[in-house]
Amino acid sequence: MATLVEEARLQEWHAEFDAAARRPLRARFRYAFIHTYKPVLDDAPYRSFDTTAAYREWCARQLPPWLGYGPAV
Amino acid sequence: MARRFEYAQAEEIHDVFVRHEVRYLFIGKSGAILLGYPDTTQDADLFLEKTPTNNAAVARALRELGFALTDDQVAEIERGKDFVQLKNGPFDLDLVFAPDGIESFEQAWRRRVDVEGFPVCHPDDIIRSKEAAGRVKDREVLPRLRSFRDYWLARNR
Repeated sequence: MATLVEEARLQEWHAEFDAAARRPLRARFRYAFIHTYKPVLDDAPYRSFDTTAAYREWCARQLPPWLGYGPAV
Repeated sequence: MARRFEYAQAEEIHDVFVRHEVRYLFIGKSGAILLGYPDTTQDADLFLEKTPTNNAAVARALRELGFALTDDQVAEIERGKDFVQLKNGPFDLDLVFAPDGIESFEQAWRRRVDVEGFPVCHPDDIIRSKEAAGRVKDREVLPRLRSFRDYWLARNR
């Protein structure tokens, strides 16, 4: 059963990949890039971090968990 | 005011970066989207070579693109940061100088994919960086992204 579900999911993804491959790059951009407000993350015009680890730590501590920027447990 | 990243802006990045001789690659989900991966994302992620010359070129190019960088911010970028998040310009941009899971810019550059003139990280590098970052949002996207990588490799043999 799990295999059938997995197979169905792969077929669905491949149909999506096929459809995307038929679209010109401009159209892919139009469909892909969106903008929604992300609390905290969008509240400063500029942030910089000396290390990628420091950025990850900041995300884990400061951002709402539902944004998904924290470490997967 | 919501600012959506558009094709014309990607072209502008490319034109200005070429003029300033900035070494960069699209990475992350925005890179995958350029390769044909169907999904949504909010901003563009650029992997930049971290050298004094490139850092200075990046800062100059960003100002030309319309990012309102203060002199202190320019100096920071020139000195070298691993990650810079910009929301002070015509679109949102994440500058990644040391992505997780990728050894060096040079190696990623050698594996790059040209998508209609845009330099993009190879799907293997995009996946490696997401695996190494290990965030919740990365883990959620990885199974479908790996499936896309296999699909893309089969089409581009």
